[in-house]
Amino acid sequence: MKRRSIVALGLVAVLASAITTATPGATKRATANNITVWLQVDAQSSWPDVVAAANQKFQSDHPGTTVNVQYQNWGDHLQKFDAALAGGGGPDVIEMGNSEMTKYMAAGAFSSLDKSSFDNSANWLKGLAGSGAYGGKTYGVPYYAGSRVVTYRKDLFSKAGISKLPATTGEYVADAKRLLAKNSTKGFSPVYIAGTDWYVALGFVFDYGGGIATQVSGKWHGLLSSPKSLAGLAAYKAFFNATSRASKTTDETHPNPYDVYAQGQAASILGPSWFTCCIGAKYKSSTAQFVMPGHVKGQSMPGFAGGSDLAVPITSSTKSLASDWIKDFTSTSSEKALQAKGNIPNATNLLGNSVNERAAARSWFVPTAKHWVDVENGNILRNMLRQILTGKLSIKQAASSASDNIESVLNQ
Amino acid sequence: MAAAAETTLHRSRRRRRFRDRAFRASTPYALIAPVVAVIGVILAYPLYWLVKLSTEKYGLFELIQHKGVSVGLRNFSSVLHDSVFWRTLLRTVVFTAVNVTLTIVLGMLIALLLARVSTYVRVLLSSGLVLVWSMPVVVAVQVFYWMTNFENGVVNYALTQLHLGDFFHHDWYASTFSQLSLVTVLIVWGALPFVAITLYAGLAQVPRDLVEAAEVDGARPWRVFLDITLPILRPILLILTSLSIIWDFGVFTQPYLLIGQSKITSGNYLMSIYLFEEGYFKSDFGRGAAISILMLLIVAVLSVAYVRKMVRIGEAAL
Repeated sequence: MKRRSIVALGLVAVLASAITTATPGATKRATANNITVWLQVDAQSSWPDVVAAANQKFQSDHPGTTVNVQYQNWGDHLQKFDAALAGGGGPDVIEMGNSEMTKYMAAGAFSSLDKSSFDNSANWLKGLAGSGAYGGKTYGVPYYAGSRVVTYRKDLFSKAGISKLPATTGEYVADAKRLLAKNSTKGFSPVYIAGTDWYVALGFVFDYGGGIATQVSGKWHGLLSSPKSLAGLAAYKAFFNATSRASKTTDETHPNPYDVYAQGQAASILGPSWFTCCIGAKYKSSTAQFVMPGHVKGQSMPGFAGGSDLAVPITSSTKSLASDWIKDFTSTSSEKALQAKGNIPNATNLLGNSVNERAAARSWFVPTAKHWVDVENGNILRNMLRQILTGKLSIKQAASSASDNIESVLNQ
Repeated sequence: MAAAAETTLHRSRRRRRFRDRAFRASTPYALIAPVVAVIGVILAYPLYWLVKLSTEKYGLFELIQHKGVSVGLRNFSSVLHDSVFWRTLLRTVVFTAVNVTLTIVLGMLIALLLARVSTYVRVLLSSGLVLVWSMPVVVAVQVFYWMTNFENGVVNYALTQLHLGDFFHHDWYASTFSQLSLVTVLIVWGALPFVAITLYAGLAQVPRDLVEAAEVDGARPWRVFLDITLPILRPILLILTSLSIIWDFGVFTQPYLLIGQSKITSGNYLMSIYLFEEGYFKSDFGRGAAISILMLLIVAVLSVAYVRKMVRIGEAAL
């Protein structure tokens, strides 16, 4: 009996060590003349020269100071940031998605910044500036915005006899049929869209006048099951089935649409305008972009008004240096360099007439709610799209359940 | 005088004897002290904080302030009233049972095979097993992910070439069942080497003459396995099964990476993923701590029941 209980006790001890979750470790603290910057990998893959130029400018203004840029992934950078906040270390500057800001500003994770000290701050893009402001203070400096456009193969379009770019989604579907007829390769997509790419799918929802959620006297109400949203979701399903041979359950990074395009398996892809970065040398000269049309002639499809802000965590020990680095990285010349890479600069006075800047004219954004980020991380929208496309649930069932889900998360 | 001297001598001898006995009695405690200290530092201290955290409201705001607000057992009651918790628990128990059974049964079969084949084949086979064992989990996940890729995975290609049907663009990640089956294949594949090699080592302890005697008496191989091999391997099987239960019940890396964050929903949670999503993604660390304590208790209950049963079988056999 005694031995048995000792065995059991020993086992419990082993279990405890196996299951106890690791406490987040602290990263090295910045010293007085060393700042750590967390940027997303986009900067590493598409505009490392802009980062290098800002670092150079910063270091010439602050001799002897080093900038340690660490590249992060969208998928887990918030978990890492949480761990850094707990450990008291972490970055001095962090890039945040504009839909991620609210939760952290509400929790007091960032130190407020002097808005007027940044270039073009009077003309910052409204949506982006709004995502970095909380309680009348500025916590996030707009870094860049992105819009979503169609990247397409001119050669394939002309081979299929398409002389005029589609002016409505209906015309686009007709063009897709012609493209399919001319390209018999198995798995070829006239328009490659990952099944659960909610940025594309919700464009249809907003195009039909629907929405995600709206706040009425302090309480959030789900809108996805409204008749207009349902019409948008039905249009998305029809468009997907007619044009894309992508997996109905995958997201827009597994695989990256531009990889599918680079392999010659897609005539067009829908996504950020910087997709041209990675379409492969082979198709560089035959690639162009156009604004995704909506279902009504003359109106473009509303695109997700994505963007990034730069913020200084409250835990930083070199806040003024951090703020100076942000100044250099969001200076007029830096923003112009970002614009040249296919991004939308952070201020209206810098805007040009490129295809992505035209596409930004009609856009939508996620509900600015403290708990919105939980909706994204909980994959509520992706799950709904998977259910709709695989036919597991009807559009109405899937949308109602997602809508209820979103409502309860936002009203927590 | 002499008598007095004698008593002093007697007393001092008695004292020495007492000291000896005390020393001898305390030796085990002295020997175990370092272990207790180490366990205290690496186990009891974090566990204390985990329990403390589980009774606090500890979100992002509290994280930045480095100070939680005590809420008693509210975290536990919120988890226990969450239907997702109960569905996840059931799914994880079934998942664990399938994984552990497959691991032990297949591991046993491989061990028996190892004992039968020629030295050359045995060396080849065990090197293969060691290679599997040495592959880092993250790399293994990536290889499995490529093999089951939707666009150009080798599994779809091979199945189509073998005329087993049209597997072009077959989506292995379309349903929860399919996702978790893939994870099971990956976990069992990764766990087999350890189990097989350990059991093979155990098989070496089965006395040859005992087996031969049974065979002379006309026992069939199955009979020999049940009545001789299995009882001798029982202690090893006990340890392997308990360890497998602990590993598989709390497994995180394989399901999380193979299924992929964007496909994780409350409909395919395993316990550790539920813990991760509720605790870290939602920045509700108090609730996360409560879930991890509940997990600890559940595995303890599962394993203790198993240990008691095994011990009882052992007693009955004697």
